[in-house]
Amino acid sequence: MHWVSDILVVLLASAAVGVCRYVSGDRFWRENATELWRRRPFAIAIVGAYLLIALMDSISWVDPASDANALTSGKPRTIIDRLFVPETFTEASYSAPLASVAFYGGQPLLHPGAHLLGTDLLGRDVVYRTLKGVRVALLIGGLTSLVVIPIALLFGVSAGYFGRRIDDAVFFAMTVLASVPTLLLLIALIMVLGKGTVQVCVALGVTGWVHFCRIARGETLKLRETDFIAAARALGVRDGTIIRRHILPNIAHLVIITFALSFTALVLSETILSYLGIGLDGSWGQMIDQARNELSRTPVIWWNLTGASIALFTLVLAVNMIADAMRDVIDPRTRREG
Amino acid sequence: MRSHSAAMALLAALAAGVAAAGCTNNPYPQADRDKKVLYSSFHDAPKTLDPAVAYTTAEHVITGNVYDTLLEYHYLARPYRLIPGLAVSVPKGQDLPDGRQTYRFQLRPGVLFHPDPCFPPDATGRRTREVTAADLAFALARIADPAVNSPVIGSFAQIEGFADFSKRLEDLRRSDKAFAALPIREQYAKAGGIAGVLVHGGHELQIVLSQANAQILYWFAMPFTTPVAWEAVAAYDGKDGRDSFADHAVGTGPYRLALYEKQFRFSLARNELWYGTLSTNSDAPGAVFPTEIDPKDSIEGRIDPAYAGRRLPFVDRVTFYREREGIPQFNKLLEGYYDDGGIIKESFDAVIQNGRLSPAMRARGMRLDVTVEPSIFYVGFNMEDPVVGTPAGERGRKLRQAMSVAVDSRQYLELFLNGRGLPAQTLLPPEIFGYDSSYKNPFRQYDVERARQILADAGYKNGIDAATGNRLKLSFDTSATTAAASLQFEYLANSWRQIGIDVEINATTYNQFQDKVRHGAYQIFSWGWLADFPDPENFLFLLACENARSKNGGPNTASFCNAEFDSLYHQMKYLPNNARRADLIRRMLAILERERPWIELYHLEEFVLSHAWLVNSKPMGISYPAYKYKDVRPELRARLQGEWNAPLRWPLYLVLCAIVALTVPAVRTYYRERL
Amino acid sequence: MAAYFLRRIGYGVITLLGVLLLLFVLFFAVTDPDDIARKAVGERARPEVYAQWKTNHGYDKPLIINTGATGAGRFTDTLLAEHYRRMLTFDFGRSDADDSPISRRLREGALPSLGITVPLFVMGLVVSVAVALFVAFFRETYIDRVVLVLCMLTMSVAGLLYIIAGQYLVGQLLRWFPISGFDPNPAVVARFLALPVLVGVLSGFGADTRFYRTIFLEEIGRDYVRTARAKGCGDARVMVRHVLRNALIPILTNVVVQIPFLFTGALLLESFFGIPGLGALTVEAIQGNDFSTLRTMVYLGALLFIAGQILTDISYALADPRVRLG
Repeated sequence: MHWVSDILVVLLASAAVGVCRYVSGDRFWRENATELWRRRPFAIAIVGAYLLIALMDSISWVDPASDANALTSGKPRTIIDRLFVPETFTEASYSAPLASVAFYGGQPLLHPGAHLLGTDLLGRDVVYRTLKGVRVALLIGGLTSLVVIPIALLFGVSAGYFGRRIDDAVFFAMTVLASVPTLLLLIALIMVLGKGTVQVCVALGVTGWVHFCRIARGETLKLRETDFIAAARALGVRDGTIIRRHILPNIAHLVIITFALSFTALVLSETILSYLGIGLDGSWGQMIDQARNELSRTPVIWWNLTGASIALFTLVLAVNMIADAMRDVIDPRTRREG
Repeated sequence: MRSHSAAMALLAALAAGVAAAGCTNNPYPQADRDKKVLYSSFHDAPKTLDPAVAYTTAEHVITGNVYDTLLEYHYLARPYRLIPGLAVSVPKGQDLPDGRQTYRFQLRPGVLFHPDPCFPPDATGRRTREVTAADLAFALARIADPAVNSPVIGSFAQIEGFADFSKRLEDLRRSDKAFAALPIREQYAKAGGIAGVLVHGGHELQIVLSQANAQILYWFAMPFTTPVAWEAVAAYDGKDGRDSFADHAVGTGPYRLALYEKQFRFSLARNELWYGTLSTNSDAPGAVFPTEIDPKDSIEGRIDPAYAGRRLPFVDRVTFYREREGIPQFNKLLEGYYDDGGIIKESFDAVIQNGRLSPAMRARGMRLDVTVEPSIFYVGFNMEDPVVGTPAGERGRKLRQAMSVAVDSRQYLELFLNGRGLPAQTLLPPEIFGYDSSYKNPFRQYDVERARQILADAGYKNGIDAATGNRLKLSFDTSATTAAASLQFEYLANSWRQIGIDVEINATTYNQFQDKVRHGAYQIFSWGWLADFPDPENFLFLLACENARSKNGGPNTASFCNAEFDSLYHQMKYLPNNARRADLIRRMLAILERERPWIELYHLEEFVLSHAWLVNSKPMGISYPAYKYKDVRPELRARLQGEWNAPLRWPLYLVLCAIVALTVPAVRTYYRERL
Repeated sequence: MAAYFLRRIGYGVITLLGVLLLLFVLFFAVTDPDDIARKAVGERARPEVYAQWKTNHGYDKPLIINTGATGAGRFTDTLLAEHYRRMLTFDFGRSDADDSPISRRLREGALPSLGITVPLFVMGLVVSVAVALFVAFFRETYIDRVVLVLCMLTMSVAGLLYIIAGQYLVGQLLRWFPISGFDPNPAVVARFLALPVLVGVLSGFGADTRFYRTIFLEEIGRDYVRTARAKGCGDARVMVRHVLRNALIPILTNVVVQIPFLFTGALLLESFFGIPGLGALTVEAIQGNDFSTLRTMVYLGALLFIAGQILTDISYALADPRVRLG
């Protein structure tokens, strides 16, 4: 199953590159992007760093067998795996950040002072585990959104543009899905489909597309009534062209903002799934769930919970801030004036 | 000024609300503080209280106290000993011709069921009736009834005519619609009853076994064989809004079920009509506190000798609350709101130091009880798997041996159970016949180098298959749903990864896991077993071929089938504990040592903390939790609870000050600019 | 008017039928009833026990078309028809996990759920509206900025962490309230609810406050506020009398939608704080593979949502005649 998510991450990365190229080619978007960068350089840099880590954790290859790498050959290992070598970079059990002795018992560590955020119950490096979680988080948020947006756009725009039967059908499907409380539907889907990255992303997608679709449909309905679309239609421009040339670019900003907001919602809701035991392996939600009881240890073991929480918090905060700034920058009202 | 004062008023209201909520962490009403109530907690909600079906700890907490049994375990004596309960005495087996054996139980007269609307009112208007031997026979017939789906149906098969009765009942129900519509009791009567269960008069029950078996008596100390009122089974059928018998207990025990909200809480209340309160039963062993008290128990404060010979029970009410999470449960225990409970692993080092209670805990007057549970936790292999199982021949055997040597039980126990367990050498725990404390299993001594060596001998040098050049890849199937539980499997997988085997953990839902097991699509699994009664047979049957999962869905999940083992097992099964039996068991264990269908991990040690105000609380181990022996001292409890739970108030004031400090300058600036 | 109501209700019913179809696909077509049965009665159960269980729980019929029956029975004597019949008549049957009647569990759980969600809802609303109003009043000052940053920060923390931290700090270290638990006894119920309500209010604070602040700022920018100021109303008076009152409509719109979910409980809060409500029941159902209970909860959630929507629309129509014409 690993290769599925690998392909998806590569897709994600290429989509990002594609978006960048498009943005740099279009004056309006380039200006907006520059403005965004001016306003939120840190947040953008942080998201960029996360993307880079996820990418580094997605490129993997297999080493041929030899005696020197007896334990690691024959398995695909990513760049992050190669940097940390989790097979040997472990301790027996807990150790505090940068400690040189074990947390319990006080035996000297195998790698004294090397674990920036300490080690967990099984002696695994917390920094390594946190970094491994980046990819999972981006998979959940990014991938689901990337699967959902095209579908939602297809349905939403065609419903809004063509109206009648198509609109009725799409609107009905939307109402039905929207009537079911999101978390319950999500849980029901995962219970029925089973655990696993793909299943969870599909479930998140099924519950997530409604929101996008509604926005796309509403905006298209509004646009269809505008003069420039009416003019285009009167000139006999084909529907496909109108949608591609006039409608999609005009709802792009909404799609981007909704994407950012739904991204944070998805990543946060994964923690709930993890608590319920149906989350993704290696996610921050799972780390938090594993670590939550460690606060009761004496002395308190805080680094495990902290590692995942900070990573999660930083990512969500950065995306939230970018979304906020983006809303200010590409507000349609300011746009009309400019 | 309006919004300013409104905000201030709101803050004041918030603070007042917090203060009004009592600012106390006491979960019980003030009115209950002087009552003789024992507070405890449970984790998994009971599924059923039907005594023929109930099998889990939470269920036995109820059925063990609400339902009386013919025999009981002595509360204090170890090793375990049976004493009479509802029976007048513990019967002796009488041998019959052709190897058969019979037991006669004399039921005490005057035993009454709990008053319940299912009984018609008697002359005095009480809705109850006396227990007769027919109620005991009815209970056994229910175990045999396939529709009841009792988990222990197989354990009674040695009673003559037991399986025949099941079969007859089933056939009649299928062929005769009119029969299937009859009340259950009439169905049993029409089907002719169990041939080996005989009722003589009102108070004698005779059991005939097709083969001599001394272990059968243990089953009469378990709630499965409690007398069952046919009226209750008929009345509580779960139809048309009526309760089902699984949720409505009508027993004879010292307590009755007063409150039952199974997802949340339940409560046992003293049964005023209990047989032990009758003057005629003042000497009944199950109705008075035992007089033979182990001096060790009284020195350690576990048992108060002043109770010897006093009539049971002492506590008026036992209330249980559901605690799904360990930490809140343990905190409430430390705060004094539960009278006893286990120790969570997170707080273990703060509570236990060098194997005994920490000074702080001792100063609080707490007590610690440690017992080795008659249990075995293990990793099993699917013996029908082509790589790890029997089909792989010597290579598979070596692989299993290597994996067995690579697992460090001691460290596993340290990491996950704070060392609360005994690393297992065989599947037999201490205090079970056949356990040999001097025996060291050569394949259970952790040694990575040796494991690598054996693995290389098996043709997987460093985990690389010499034949194909590929890394050996195994799958470890678990049904772990919580993140914490998955760590344990991760640890085991890491043990094998360190010798080069690529182990993938497949954590699936319980359903998917069962599905895999059913289809034989699993390689490695991890499981535990808690014995029903203290006999080696109750462990060794887990590896008998007749119980193989693959053949007939039995509890032998490894599907281990070894002809020599089976023949020894059948010879050993019903023997009394003598030298010949010990020898047979030794030979069986030797087979397991070599074949390694299991990696025996550990025998669980139970650590129970109890407060100073809880007296006469002794860990049960294999017997059933008996609250009739325990007592509480409410005055002491109320005093200590008050001392331990003074709330820290200053942070509240700090937060309020911070909010005011943030707000006031703004308001002032604002007004200065305005005016 | 009546025609509009009927049309609205009719559409609600059709939506509900659609939800039921979705549930059918998920819980009967995709999930194998045999698996559920096997899990419930155990691996070693005899075939008749297994068949009996399936009959008792209504899993013993063909999915959509009953080839064994004749006439209308071909379509009515099926799982699909049975599913619709039972859900529409509120005959939820028994739990797949422990055989207890689901309707009783719902009755038992409704009160504790309302006990936590109603105070949570009211407190959350009051606190975030009050803070939003306060912030809007001091807009463009350091208070506004500090609160906005706080909102953004609190929005970015996972809900699970609030619960963990709340239990640890308030329950374990400060000992203000019981760390978890519940008792319907009125003498003690408040102390059990205080902590979960506090945690719940805090976790929803950021998003709500930002939302209401936006609404208030929009209102402040309107002409009537300028007029009120011009005629000499005090600032505080303008905020409460004019801005708050006019912002009530968008606030209520946001609020009414949430009301139906009060009944289905707070999933995580109930489960963590040991409150035996419907949210905890749902979590239990998830962990115990109790499909029938989960199905019922999803259905009830949808039903309440649809009912809430209809009520909202109808009350709008009553208030604003333009709606029913459109």
